Amino acid sequence: MATATAHDTSRRDPSSPWRHLDPVLVVCTLAVAALGTLMVFSATKGNGDAADTEFVKKQALFMVLGVGVMIVVALIDYRRFQDYAYFFYGGACFVLFLVVSPLGKSSKGAQAWFQLGPFQLQPSEFSKLALILGLAAMLAKWRGDIDLKRLGFALLLAGLPMGLIMLQPDLGTALVYVAIVLAMFCIAMVPGRYLLALTVVGVLGTVGVLHSNVLKEYQKDRLTVFLDANKASSGAAYNLNQSIITISRGKLTGDGLFQGKQTQLRYVPEQQTDFIFTVVGEELGFAGAATFLALMAVIIWRIWRAAALARDQFGQLVCVGVMAMFIFQLFESVGMTMGIMPVTGIPLPFMSYGGSTTLACFAAVGLVLNVHMRRFR
Amino acid sequence: MDTESPRLRLSILGIVAFSLFAALFARLWFLQIMATDQGEVEAANNRLRVIQEEAPRGRILDAKGRVLVDNRTSLVVTIDPHGLKDLKKDQRDDMLLRLATELTKSGVPTKVTGIEKRLGDPQYSPLQPIPVAIDVPETLMVFLAERADDFPSVQVRRETVRHYPEGSLAAHVEGYVGRISSTELEARMGTKEEPKVNPKPYEPDSDVGKTGIERTFEDDLRGIPGEITVEVDSKGRVKNEVGHKHPVPGNDVQLTLDIDVQRVTEQNLANELEGVRGTYTRDGKLAQGKAGSSVVIDPHNGNVVAMASYPTYDPSEFVNGISTDRYNQLVGGEAADNPLINRAIGGLYAPGSTFKLVTAYAALTKGLITGSTGYQDNGVYNVGNREFQNAGRFAHGWVPLPKAITVSSDVYFYWLGDRFWKERDKVGDGIQETARLFGYGQPTGVQLPGELGGVVPDPAWKKQFWQSLPADQQLKDGDKWYAGDNVNLAIGQGDLLATPIQVANAYATFVNHGVRHQTNLVLRVLKPGGDPSDPGAVVRSIDPIVASQFTMPDDDYTPLHTGLAGVTTDKDGTATEFFKGFDQTNFGVLGKTGTAEVKGKADTSIFVGVGPAQDPSYAAIAVLEQSGFGADAAGPVVRGVFGYVSGQDQAAACAAQADAAANQAKTANGQPAPTTTTTAKPGSLTVTCPDPPPDPVAPSTTTTTSGKSGAGGGAGGGTTGGSPGGGPKGGATTSTTRAPTATTRPTTTPSTSRPPTTTTRAPASTTPTTRAPTTTTPKKTG
Repeated sequence: MATATAHDTSRRDPSSPWRHLDPVLVVCTLAVAALGTLMVFSATKGNGDAADTEFVKKQALFMVLGVGVMIVVALIDYRRFQDYAYFFYGGACFVLFLVVSPLGKSSKGAQAWFQLGPFQLQPSEFSKLALILGLAAMLAKWRGDIDLKRLGFALLLAGLPMGLIMLQPDLGTALVYVAIVLAMFCIAMVPGRYLLALTVVGVLGTVGVLHSNVLKEYQKDRLTVFLDANKASSGAAYNLNQSIITISRGKLTGDGLFQGKQTQLRYVPEQQTDFIFTVVGEELGFAGAATFLALMAVIIWRIWRAAALARDQFGQLVCVGVMAMFIFQLFESVGMTMGIMPVTGIPLPFMSYGGSTTLACFAAVGLVLNVHMRRFR
Repeated sequence: MDTESPRLRLSILGIVAFSLFAALFARLWFLQIMATDQGEVEAANNRLRVIQEEAPRGRILDAKGRVLVDNRTSLVVTIDPHGLKDLKKDQRDDMLLRLATELTKSGVPTKVTGIEKRLGDPQYSPLQPIPVAIDVPETLMVFLAERADDFPSVQVRRETVRHYPEGSLAAHVEGYVGRISSTELEARMGTKEEPKVNPKPYEPDSDVGKTGIERTFEDDLRGIPGEITVEVDSKGRVKNEVGHKHPVPGNDVQLTLDIDVQRVTEQNLANELEGVRGTYTRDGKLAQGKAGSSVVIDPHNGNVVAMASYPTYDPSEFVNGISTDRYNQLVGGEAADNPLINRAIGGLYAPGSTFKLVTAYAALTKGLITGSTGYQDNGVYNVGNREFQNAGRFAHGWVPLPKAITVSSDVYFYWLGDRFWKERDKVGDGIQETARLFGYGQPTGVQLPGELGGVVPDPAWKKQFWQSLPADQQLKDGDKWYAGDNVNLAIGQGDLLATPIQVANAYATFVNHGVRHQTNLVLRVLKPGGDPSDPGAVVRSIDPIVASQFTMPDDDYTPLHTGLAGVTTDKDGTATEFFKGFDQTNFGVLGKTGTAEVKGKADTSIFVGVGPAQDPSYAAIAVLEQSGFGADAAGPVVRGVFGYVSGQDQAAACAAQADAAANQAKTANGQPAPTTTTTAKPGSLTVTCPDPPPDPVAPSTTTTTSGKSGAGGGAGGGTTGGSPGGGPKGGATTSTTRAPTATTRPTTTPSTSRPPTTTTRAPASTTPTTRAPTTTTPKKTG
């Protein structure tokens, strides 16, 4: 009824965008983020007498900050973002350049972070949004009239941050960019044959990367292990196997919160970040994991709906970019823990521990809310 | 349809999104709902670790329930070679140096080279932690545990290890335990492909009995290992214990050995060998006195009362694994020095004249002679153109059968051997047949690994043996059996070979009138910690087993018995001199001396005795390699044992002790000491000499300083005055006071009682001078 009331009010006072807020998206986002915080706690509390609360405290802080960011982003009319889109884009590329310079911090084989006091900033998370804004601004300007030259421009625009990210190297995040770009091209009415060609090029490019020396051997190992489960000797196969075992232990209802045997003994690597879905799977079972997926599906649906309702192409492109980002990250992060996607480090939106990803995700939802509530003006 | 509409494209995007969700749901459903318990099993496999907890082995007890082998806990410092490999060279060297320093500081002197040697020792699997120091103090365990980061891959474990309260006593019977080898493990647990179910499972670092009773009764002694099931995290760190099955200790094994008799036997054997060492034998050869053995069995049932082999070893050296260097040092010398061989069952000797019993009995049963048949012994016997002699060509004159045994007339038996050959159509291989009836040529069946069966040569054997030789060693006609072979066989020489226990058992068979028992070392298997006198504690008893049986007519038995009795009593008996002073009234001794000739070396001295003749309970043999003729060296060993078991020498143990002390002193004076053996280990000879309640020293004898002060007080009255003491050797330190008889005597005045301090024997290391008060006390008090 609250929704209906909101609609009624909006009709009476269309000048107030807040009247057009999508509460379903907000509620689902907050629910998933809360679940994520709980899962981070379960994954990091350890099994000593005193629970380790360091991670969960930080994650809760990120969540609160994230909600703040979401509100701020939603407050500012997205068309202002359109005006400054290239500024964001340029800034993002500059920061991405800095991170591969000696200023950046290398960890787990990729130079992708800045160390800021106790926090680590991962600019590639924020630059996704910058790319979405920049690309949306450029594509919206062309109003669906995209020839080969323009496509080339758009590809250059998308290619610069992707190239910088491959320098880290971080293939997973780069693939997120590919998904974002393809989805936005699709909606921007890039002719079908170009899209097809781009897809082919993308696939060939991925294969090429795997056969080049851009990635380290173990990174390639991780990416390809899901294709060949018998590669059991490698550590990557072990990790993947542990991940699948852990999820399958969950059965219908799971071991119960904080009761996951595999989780609490930390058999799965990176279980608070990339592999956090294993915690959901083991401790909450199919019931919990499916609920989580359903919540994510609702979020995606609401974003898709926002895209469909958007009053201009820029807004629609932004929503589609965010939707592609979430969908790809979700499918990759969850699929990898279940052995149907290559193992690569991509955070699960709102679930994985990490400040950059949490803030970026909330900002992304903020953008969508922004577009959605300004669909009438 | 308008394929170029954004709305359609958005729909396509939605469909793609929907498909992806569908895929995730489907996969999730498959993994969590459809899949079997595979995941659970795999998860349990990697999450749970079962740590085997070795069960304490059963104890080994003597016939009276006294402990020979039990267990103690030991703190063992181990290094995990796997973890060590991860260290850099300088870190590793530094760590080992610090470890060696800490070990040395805590009282376990250790060198880095020693640790390195252990680490490189091929006996250890590189997959298991290697023990580098044992019996470290608790403080070191705490120290190392607190500084685990400074000592990576170093661990201190609490282990249950074998403990030998009696030191090296009966070491050859007990045997030792050691880490299970890969072949032993495979035999017990099967291979990875074909695992065997074992109710007492072994792990690669389990201990297993390697020799002796430890090995033959492994299945009883081994306990059922406990299992601690722990949950480990992904790094292998133990997080919590989820299950604990406590280990079940192994069963105790009660031996037939009597610790006291065993000790006396071992001491007498050692004393005699060490006594003859470096002296010259009757035929002028240098006695080496390096090796020998002695066995005492009970003819009633074949039970082994004592079994000694010299040189011996200290089984505690094998606790936690003996180093390969030390092991090679033990077994690497001359064969005569190898202390790990149990010569009582694994030493092969020509039985020499002790075999004449068999020859004589064969001749009697085959009708060649009767119990009184005599022969003129001129010292020489000719077979064809070959001359066979008595020792020293000594002519015994007319010898009837009993005397032929008593004086050990070789000629008499040459004659019998020759007759067996000449009349072979009638009597066949009569000597060999009889020998087999007495147990020669086959193991006696004692429950020890390494028992040999010996050789009873006959024409078929000789031919086969010749054929087995390489062609260049096959002498012409060496495959044929000649009269000379029979003649040699008749006196226990030639190709005849027997183990000491075989000979003892043959004599037991004789006094049993043909009943031959399987020799036996184990009375019963008991529940862990069980009291042998409690029938409820008995897991199983081992009853005497008759291995074979034949009827021995009295007409054949009596003359032989007479001959054997004469050996220790007749004035011409070959062992009479050793039994002077031994009261045979209640403990008659049948005996037989023997000499096994070894080309170019001093003779092996053999004596076998059975007593008491009235109801034989002990068949004892002593075989002393390269130690002299006949019973010269072996006789006193058996004499000492009989002196003890007959109760005549309650002080025999003390005397042996005194000898050991004297020996020790002698060693200190520059005599060669056995380097590879543990003989008179200080502190291990704590035999309890009878406190002299009613001191046997009569007023009349208190004035004498002689050690045989009790000789005049025997209740039996059969004293042989003037004998130089009844001890194993008439040494200056012997003292054969007859304590038991003294119990019937009124207690003499307190002044004659020796003060307690002098009755407790001095430690073995005490020199004769410090012992002096013991012998002089009577004079002082008198």
